[in-house]
Amino acid sequence: MMPSLLLAVTLLWPLMLGLRNVLRLVMQGGALSRPGPRPELLDYWWVCAPVPALLLSLWPGEAQLLMEGWLLGGQWQLDDGRRPWLLFSALLWALAGLYARGYLIVEQQAAEAGDGDAFRRLLGFALLWPLTLAGNLLLIVAEDIPSFYLGFALMTFAAYGLVVHAGNRDSHLGGRAYLIMAVLGEGLILGGLLWSAGTAQVLTLTELRAGIATAEQGAWMATLLWLGFGVKAGVIGLHVWLPLAHPVAPTPASAVLSGVMIKAGLIGWLSTLPLGAAGLETLGRLVIALGLAGALGAALYGAIQRHPKAVLAYSSVSQMGMITTLVGVGMVSPPLWPGLLVAITLFAAHHGLTKGALFLGVGISEHPPRLPGWLLWLLLWLPALSLAGAMTSGLATKWTFKELLYDAGHGTLVAWLSVAAVGTTLLMSRALWRQWQERGSYRIPLHAPMPLAWLTCVVAALSVPLWVPLAGEHPNWPPLTEWPGLLWPVSLGVVVAALVLLAALRSQRKWRRAQRLMPGDLWWWYAQSSNRLLRLLHVLGNAGESRGSRLRGRLQTWETRATAAISELPRFERSFRRLAVPLMVGVAVLLLVGLWLG
Amino acid sequence: MSQAWLPLATLATSLLVVPLIFALPERAWRMRTALNLSAALLKVVLVALMVWGLYQGESYRFSFTVVQGVTFLFQVDALGLMFAGLSSLLWLATTVYAIGYLEDSPNRKRFFGFFSLCVASTIGIALAGNLFTFLLFYELLTLSTYPLVVHRGHAKALDAGTTYLRYTLTGGLVVLLGVVALHVMVGDVTFGEREMLADLGPEAHGLLTVLFLILLLGLGVKAALVPLHGWLPRAMVAPAPVSALLHAVAVVKAGAFGIVRLVYDVYGIGLTYQLGLLTLLAVIATVTILYGSMRALAQQELKPRLAFSTVSQVSYIVLGISLFGPFGTIAGLVHLMHQGLMKVTLFYCAGNYAEELGIHRIDQLDGAGRRMPLTSIAFTVGALGMIGLPPVAGFISKWYLGMGAVQANMPWVILVLVASSLLNAAYFLPILYRLWFRPGPAHGVGEWPQERRLGRFETSGWLLWPTVSTAVLSILAGLLAGLPFSPLDLASFVTAEEYTP
Repeated sequence: MMPSLLLAVTLLWPLMLGLRNVLRLVMQGGALSRPGPRPELLDYWWVCAPVPALLLSLWPGEAQLLMEGWLLGGQWQLDDGRRPWLLFSALLWALAGLYARGYLIVEQQAAEAGDGDAFRRLLGFALLWPLTLAGNLLLIVAEDIPSFYLGFALMTFAAYGLVVHAGNRDSHLGGRAYLIMAVLGEGLILGGLLWSAGTAQVLTLTELRAGIATAEQGAWMATLLWLGFGVKAGVIGLHVWLPLAHPVAPTPASAVLSGVMIKAGLIGWLSTLPLGAAGLETLGRLVIALGLAGALGAALYGAIQRHPKAVLAYSSVSQMGMITTLVGVGMVSPPLWPGLLVAITLFAAHHGLTKGALFLGVGISEHPPRLPGWLLWLLLWLPALSLAGAMTSGLATKWTFKELLYDAGHGTLVAWLSVAAVGTTLLMSRALWRQWQERGSYRIPLHAPMPLAWLTCVVAALSVPLWVPLAGEHPNWPPLTEWPGLLWPVSLGVVVAALVLLAALRSQRKWRRAQRLMPGDLWWWYAQSSNRLLRLLHVLGNAGESRGSRLRGRLQTWETRATAAISELPRFERSFRRLAVPLMVGVAVLLLVGLWLG
Repeated sequence: MSQAWLPLATLATSLLVVPLIFALPERAWRMRTALNLSAALLKVVLVALMVWGLYQGESYRFSFTVVQGVTFLFQVDALGLMFAGLSSLLWLATTVYAIGYLEDSPNRKRFFGFFSLCVASTIGIALAGNLFTFLLFYELLTLSTYPLVVHRGHAKALDAGTTYLRYTLTGGLVVLLGVVALHVMVGDVTFGEREMLADLGPEAHGLLTVLFLILLLGLGVKAALVPLHGWLPRAMVAPAPVSALLHAVAVVKAGAFGIVRLVYDVYGIGLTYQLGLLTLLAVIATVTILYGSMRALAQQELKPRLAFSTVSQVSYIVLGISLFGPFGTIAGLVHLMHQGLMKVTLFYCAGNYAEELGIHRIDQLDGAGRRMPLTSIAFTVGALGMIGLPPVAGFISKWYLGMGAVQANMPWVILVLVASSLLNAAYFLPILYRLWFRPGPAHGVGEWPQERRLGRFETSGWLLWPTVSTAVLSILAGLLAGLPFSPLDLASFVTAEEYTP
């Protein structure tokens, strides 16, 4: 009883906190249009929206909630598979929420002082943030397909408001890229879900996986679903929204976007694809190829970006590419899957929190807390090194999957992943270099929400293997003999980064060509080709329209002619009248003649 | 047990109001409002009673012979009751809305008189027990809607009215031909006696196919199937409550309902399937869905965009019934109700924007979310439902359509569903973007075309509350679809009747 209640509260609490602000405004009556002081929106109640979710993820034992009247039969549950995802997601949401309170303090003060525009933007943020959170939590705990889809859609669409929070031109461009790609993804997911759920006649995710595994067209259904969720997970080719949306969103929103929301795509794969069952080998090879392409390509392209958040966004694409590769390996060799699942879960938690810490760090370098410079930059470097795999959680993660892949004879793959790790090091160096160049000077107190949230996030990110519950499995630390094999990519990366930096400092030439490579890479090409297509359709439509109007015109002429003919009829009337008498006489005569003859 | 008085009383609630309204003087505003509202409420209660009775297993039947071999028959079955329920519920909401909308405008007496007549015809269509009775009310609906369409009386309205009459009267004539031919073949065609036509044997199949096509052609005019949809976008000049009713329950729905009756209760789904007509229906529906969405995308004004969206969405019903199997049937029937709720909400919103701010074009909507938050939230709910996102009702329809497509072994229909969802997103999301994320007159940029302050809230309460309540109903119909007496539950009930021999 108690766990089910907690499960319900987990979802309801953020919704209630989101609505609370709106209700408060309604109670005050027209506070929106009135000048003067406004209530504080991002207060500590608002910050504690993910707390029930945290409690739930720490709840010993499983929880389940069945609701017959909900959609087509609601079924939410927390089991060992879902627990780590819920835990790290809720943790990052909580920290980012706390951070947001500090990050938006200027807007908040302006709003409280009576700036209507700032207040309205903040109100949107205060409402959409818990909504997005609720969607994210729902998709983690949902077991029935409609709830899962609801959570996914809610998260996707509510997050649009977070992306365009700033309201300027760039943010609307980022928002548009985000939304268009998201809608395309939703379409693919809907198609895949309808097809597979219809074939298997099921309503829950577990049965859906089993159904796809045995379905005749299972591989195609899996491909649809993989592509649909791939938009969110940043699969190469579908990733274009990431580098456009991340830099423009407020920093805490970027942190959750990159830390947890793109993991929703991964959760989508894990919940709908029959991983661990045979039959997806062909798709698996494609997935591995695309995953590696993403891991390497994003690293190369991202390393020449200027905006630190764009660099970090490309790093997310690259990291998700590595995870995608692991998923692909699971498709190609199903027996490896149980071990891979542990590695992927650990990787996701590690990347989620580390990327969160890195994004939060961007804001920290702009508004540094009162810390000695060396300590601050050391703390900023720690998660970067961890992500590159040089230490702590990154090292453990890397070892977990490398060990597995080596044992299964996927040596080439490991080599490629190591090359991608070189790329990660380059990206991290680039991001931190840009942060250093754009560092701020105004110092904020250490106990303000922003530094507190960031520091906690760094600590949590570095210690992921210690606390993440992996259903009884424990990540191993690599033996000392393996360390050189694990550390060479980072060392190489650091050396390359240093060389490039030196070369860049020595040569005075501007890198014009590199500057022209804008964030969003393929997006610009997509936009151009779809514009061309639309223009073509427009021309065709106009041609059809004019042909249609010509046809209508002809019909109308006929009609006019017919009506004219009808109105001509009265003219005959007079002739009829004149004819009547002769006609009667004629008939009479005929009759008479007939009678006479008869 | 047969209680003949209930269906008759239901019809009478709106039919008897008509002479009373015409008898009242034009300025008797209070009296007319009271009369309208009490009749609408009474009808909701009566329909609810019948729904309750039907679940208890009671049957309601009323008949008398008009001439030898032709009977006037009222017969309450689950399908008809579903349509009656939708019509009475939305009549109540639209009456409230219309009272607010037409405040201070001339000819209110005429409007409400014909309005009631129009609703009486839809109730007649819903409860009709045989083809003859159906045809009677179907034609009555055509005629009683004309004065509503041309209500404003300007040249454009009269023009649209003429187009409307041309299309629907021709359609009615074609239906009449089909009905007479069926009558000649088998006598009185009572709904639900499906063995009548099925027993004719294979030699009659050719003729039956031709008759089906004739009837489909006639009914397709009102159901706005492409290429017979031309009248619908032009009828948009009608006042907002009329368009709302026209699109949600009255004319367009009557056509769709007629097709549902034709397939399930005249021919029977088995015979239709045997004749291979379901595939034809699916193809027509597909073309209509995609064409309607494409045209909607090109519209610059709000109401025409919604009108083309109706063309597209109503065909979901046809698509649903063309999918052989219980899931397809459920999808078609449940969408009959869901589309009504969502589309009526959207039209109320369009009316609210037009009345309060003078907005007709989509690009004038910038920032309207701030000025009219509740209306805009209702619009958002309706639009998301049309796209098919949970938890709004449209998702349930789409889910069952997908299930039905697989069950009927036509998985390509899912492709149509996805394409249509994307197109819906393409023409609704830009509106939502303008409403919520673009600065407009409410933020001090530019000016509303014609702002009036109609009430204490963002607009007059008469306009606002029906909008909000139908929006809430659209969400509840989706969110709590598993509860008894939800549209989904009713549709499943009907379907169980259809498929049990």
